[in-house]
Amino acid sequence: MTSNIGFISIVISCILSLFILILFFKHVLFGGPLHSKFFALYKASFFLIAASFVLLVISFIISDFSIVAVYENSHTDKPFFYKFAGTWGNHEGSMLLFILIISLYGYLFLLFSKQLNFSLRFTTIFFQTSLQFAFLLFLIFTSNPFEKIFPIPNQGLGLNPILQDPLLVLHPPFLYLGYVGFSLVFSLLLGGLICNYYNQSWAAIAKRWIFLPWTFLTFGIGLGSFWAYYELGWGGYWFWDPVENASLMPWIASTALIHSVLVMDKTKKLYNWTAILTILTFVLSLFGTFLVRSGILNSVHAFANDPERGLYILFIISLITFSALVIYILKSPKQTEGESGFVLFSREFSIVANNYLLIFALTVVTIGTTYPILLSVFTGESISVGPQYYNTILAPFVFIFLIVMAIGPYMKWSKNSFAVSKNKFIAFLISSLIVTILVSFLLKNQNFIFILGVLCSLYLIISVLYEFAYFKNIKLKQFNFARVFSHAGFGFLILAITLHYFFSKEFTAKIPLGESVTYKEFVIKFSNYFSKEDKNYQELTGEYEIQKNGEKIVLKPSIRRYSQPQQFTSETSIRGEWLSDMYIAMDYTSDTSDGIGIRFYHNYSIRLIWLSYILITIGGLLSFVRRKNEQ
Amino acid sequence: MSPATKKRLSYFLISTIVLLVVGKFVYNSLQGNTVYFFSPTDLSNLSEKPNGLIRVGGLVKKNSIKEKQKNASYTFTITDLKNDTYVEYEGLLPNLFQEGKGAVIEGVLKDKKFLLAQKILAKHDENYMPPEVAEALKKSGNWNKNYDQ
Repeated sequence: MTSNIGFISIVISCILSLFILILFFKHVLFGGPLHSKFFALYKASFFLIAASFVLLVISFIISDFSIVAVYENSHTDKPFFYKFAGTWGNHEGSMLLFILIISLYGYLFLLFSKQLNFSLRFTTIFFQTSLQFAFLLFLIFTSNPFEKIFPIPNQGLGLNPILQDPLLVLHPPFLYLGYVGFSLVFSLLLGGLICNYYNQSWAAIAKRWIFLPWTFLTFGIGLGSFWAYYELGWGGYWFWDPVENASLMPWIASTALIHSVLVMDKTKKLYNWTAILTILTFVLSLFGTFLVRSGILNSVHAFANDPERGLYILFIISLITFSALVIYILKSPKQTEGESGFVLFSREFSIVANNYLLIFALTVVTIGTTYPILLSVFTGESISVGPQYYNTILAPFVFIFLIVMAIGPYMKWSKNSFAVSKNKFIAFLISSLIVTILVSFLLKNQNFIFILGVLCSLYLIISVLYEFAYFKNIKLKQFNFARVFSHAGFGFLILAITLHYFFSKEFTAKIPLGESVTYKEFVIKFSNYFSKEDKNYQELTGEYEIQKNGEKIVLKPSIRRYSQPQQFTSETSIRGEWLSDMYIAMDYTSDTSDGIGIRFYHNYSIRLIWLSYILITIGGLLSFVRRKNEQ
Repeated sequence: MSPATKKRLSYFLISTIVLLVVGKFVYNSLQGNTVYFFSPTDLSNLSEKPNGLIRVGGLVKKNSIKEKQKNASYTFTITDLKNDTYVEYEGLLPNLFQEGKGAVIEGVLKDKKFLLAQKILAKHDENYMPPEVAEALKKSGNWNKNYDQ
């Protein structure tokens, strides 16, 4: 019953969307007033999608196995929490969530745009509806989440155990709130171009709609990284895997967009560049969905997928990109209102420089991600690109990027202000050099790249701290906390990555019960193990005593054998300290008589990485605190 | 040439040079870090053995996993049901690495039939078949609908 109502409300919402599109065309082509219920209809379509999503959640919670998606991804033995999260742990449910978020952003826009130009408002809603309509068709015809199965099975197949984790409840929705959220600024751009409203005040409106999804995306990526480290037992936080890159690409593009829209707002420049970045950000978000959903990638994150759906998504992406580019070319702002050209060492100059670096990083990541796909499509050769490709190319540019990030905020808009702040820059350099030398001697590492990484990130951190310490000179209400937090976060992130890259160690061994192995300064002893039974899995827990410089700690990693579906997962055991983590993951062995295999990691500055994700996210949130010098 | 033209020309030249240098840098790094994939049949058809890191994928042959001594080193056979590749791997086998299931192994070839593995790619999902392995099985004519889940 619920499944019928759910499906019917999706179909009605789809018909409503079509109706909204027709009303728009009627108004534009034949004149006459826009239908008075135009916005009300959009709200109705949103509520219908929301209702069907709630119904799907309910079907998962009550384990309604007459629905294929529930049957394939749920089980009555599963804890309540995972029944709930199972809703978006599968293709159909996650596509419904995708559409819900497109629609949600449209709805939020309607709520918060009442004071806006009327034609900009309804044109934006028109484009948002078009996106919603395209994906609703995709959902109805290729991936109906309410598809039924007959006869009704008694029991479901269960959710992939790796996904049975509290963070799964949060990670995908935040990622989607992030990259699907860019749909609104995309619609706003097309609306602005069509209504000839693409100008400085457009930038002031668009800013919020870029910051909001950007903050969600940052947080979502951070959660994914955290999840991989703690739950998947891979021992790291980032693997340059195609699916990870799929979320990083829109992040880089939107970071560039945030900055270029600021330049547009302040100096009336970069109109064309901002438009292109807006289109690029949203297209990359869709492309990410395509990569993850189509299964054309061999990724560590790949789940069983259906390639045919990929083709539909590819078709939708091409159509959206093509129409957006046509609108942009036909209606592109002929010339910007401000003067052209940039003053050397002005604020906008440093932002443009960093935009170039971001685009370069984006190109590198995009090439690394798509090159294997293109090669296999055109030549049939399968290849993959190793992480070293990204590390070697990106490292030198990140260093330059950090320096520009540090000095840029000390520049004034449209004025060469290098001379004014020269002494500060030299002071930052000297202090960061001193700390770097200290760090290098303390940690006994004189590697050139290591020193550069530490130096450049400290330079940024010190410049931000200086600004923070002397903010009394400006009024508190004018202080840009958003920038300070996110820039400091990025500085700490690169510092943490550098430390992690140069100091972390990995070691695998098979240890029989009661025996110990020695690795560098660590002595690891397998002292005991015990097993227990839980509702949906059996668990074997090992006890490992680790001695390091006379200090002794006990780690208890475990292996779980899930019954539905049958699969093993490793539960890691981590002893976190401020500077480093000791991390053990156990591997499955059917015969424990000659020992159990473990992977031991000694990871540096992992906590600093989480801290920097949080700082960057807080920076995003603080951008919503209105400053006094803003309109 | 007017000064404006000169300025534009110099911008153009500088950006071209920068682009070329950066492009070359990216290209080299990409070449140096590319890992090619082969099926056991591809390997046996090769006239010359590839150098550097490669990936080999197929099914893990039944009853082929053997443990060497007690130092967590394993040997096993990867097959596309037409040709086999022997693999030696020092390290622990991932949880989802099982006989009869698909796997992708990264390592260096010692000779055309013998791979010294450095990494085994483990997957999220027990039903998941790496696309390269599916392709390798289709090529060797041993694709079975049961694999397609």
